[in-house]
Amino acid sequence: MSNIIEFNNINKEFKIFLRDKGLWGAIKGLFKRKHKLIKALNNVCFEIQEGDIVGYIGPNGAGKSTTIKIMSGILTPTSGQCKINGYIPWKDRKKYVKSIGVVFGQRSQLWWDVPVRDSFELLKDIYNIPTEEYQKTLDILIDILKIGELLDRPLRQLSLGQKMKCELAGALLHKPKILFLDEPTIGLDAVTKLAVRDFVKYINKEWKTTVILTTHDMTDIDALTNKVILIGKGKILYNGSFEYLKNKYANEKTITVEFLKEYDKIEVEGYNVVSHDKNVAVLKNFPQTIFNTQKFLQTITQKYEIVDFSVNTISVDEVLAKLYKEFNL
Amino acid sequence: MLYKKYLKMHLKSSFEYRLNTIFVGVSQSLITVGELLALYFMFQTFESVGPWGFYECLLMFGILMTAYPIVECFFRGYDNFSLLVKFGELDRLLVRPVNIHYQILGSKIEFSKIGRVFVGIIASVIALLNLNITFTFAKILVLIASYLCAICFFLGVFVLSAGISVFTIEKMEFLNIITNGSKELANYPINIYTKWITRFFTFVLPVACFNYLPLSYLMDVGNLPSWLYAISPIFGMLFAVPCFAFFNLSLKKYQGTGT
Repeated sequence: MSNIIEFNNINKEFKIFLRDKGLWGAIKGLFKRKHKLIKALNNVCFEIQEGDIVGYIGPNGAGKSTTIKIMSGILTPTSGQCKINGYIPWKDRKKYVKSIGVVFGQRSQLWWDVPVRDSFELLKDIYNIPTEEYQKTLDILIDILKIGELLDRPLRQLSLGQKMKCELAGALLHKPKILFLDEPTIGLDAVTKLAVRDFVKYINKEWKTTVILTTHDMTDIDALTNKVILIGKGKILYNGSFEYLKNKYANEKTITVEFLKEYDKIEVEGYNVVSHDKNVAVLKNFPQTIFNTQKFLQTITQKYEIVDFSVNTISVDEVLAKLYKEFNL
Repeated sequence: MLYKKYLKMHLKSSFEYRLNTIFVGVSQSLITVGELLALYFMFQTFESVGPWGFYECLLMFGILMTAYPIVECFFRGYDNFSLLVKFGELDRLLVRPVNIHYQILGSKIEFSKIGRVFVGIIASVIALLNLNITFTFAKILVLIASYLCAICFFLGVFVLSAGISVFTIEKMEFLNIITNGSKELANYPINIYTKWITRFFTFVLPVACFNYLPLSYLMDVGNLPSWLYAISPIFGMLFAVPCFAFFNLSLKKYQGTGT
């Protein structure tokens, strides 16, 4: 597969003006402005292949939206090269944006007071979509997203989930080659979330749309992406499969053991006792210990009588929390 | 055509709140009618302002009151541009394959202003019927140019404020002084004020160019050569050019800094 997005040593600096505290500071700021350079992106390099679904993750303020804004042609980077779908986004903006779709999770591109269908018709004109093609695409979108009966209602009457579905349809009417999703599942209920995910999978498979999504919802990442890019403090920290990350951190298990009676002290070789209350103890394996049920049971039953036990693998959210911690984010 | 679609969308939007649109439209027209009456009653007391009589002033008022609401109706997007920046809507416009000015025009159209345009036109017609103008082809052209000049001027002010709001994000109140200030000033012939005010509002903010200057040509009065009066509206229209240039520059800067 060929690279559809190439980011080469992209730097982005912002100048922010500092103001002293208080009223006097504000007045002083009118005459003499001190400023500070902030490096929002620091030599960012990555490639994305056609047909990928990429999760772009990182804590708030890491540089995610700056990257998205550069990729969608809104911002010009301070230095570096970037080529997307054969265009330089900020140079050939008008031609380039025809091939992309953008969904900002918290903002709508549809009109508040008019039926959704009319907003779609406006987009049809904006993107210059031939009527026949438009009708065909719309039919497919209605079918997969099940938004048929929503189209004749004004946007203000729709629920958050219904709005998001319509929003997605609106961004895909012109069948973009690349779709940017900025927190698409924020605030959605479980059913809608699944519908949105299925939809993203569908267009990726059927239309070969490359998808780049930013999200704080790790289950999204887990369910959708075949690749994650982790950014922190303007630098790319990890670029690869999410499976690898999961395996790396999922080694840690939390084992809750219920004993027959109360022991004064519990010690298990290779394990850390996190808490111990009456006849229940919570254990965690040392990083070098690989958890094995049989071995664990053998070790523990030599010393203690147990009634029950359960094993928990860390969640994807915890994987990310650990990752952020490891990189000091 | 895309603009037609935008028009249709805004019409539909305002039909959702039909009563509100109508009430706002009517009340705004009534305000304009009130201002008109104020002008009339003032002339009942002081028969003239400098060399200008009631109907001359009424024509200036008519030009202003036709042009300003037209700009408010169709070019409101520039006036509201600060909101587009503040709520990130500008980003949304930038990811679409259509010229940004076109989209700003389409972003807001306020039909409730139309009523005022009618009041302005009626005032103009009454004034023209009562003024003793011997119309020539050139005079008709200058008259039309005066309306266009007024439209360009207020459009320029809106575009200028839009350009500034890229940096300040908030809409700057002092710009309202320019808009409303020139509007208030243009109710009367600019040359009745002190010299520096007249000059300022001729060469910096060319309010005079759709005010007493073209009127001098229409009425065949004034000390300057008449062609100067005749081309004054054209000079005034040029005001919009640097405003647009400034706006485009600001937008470039926005893409560079992402303020």
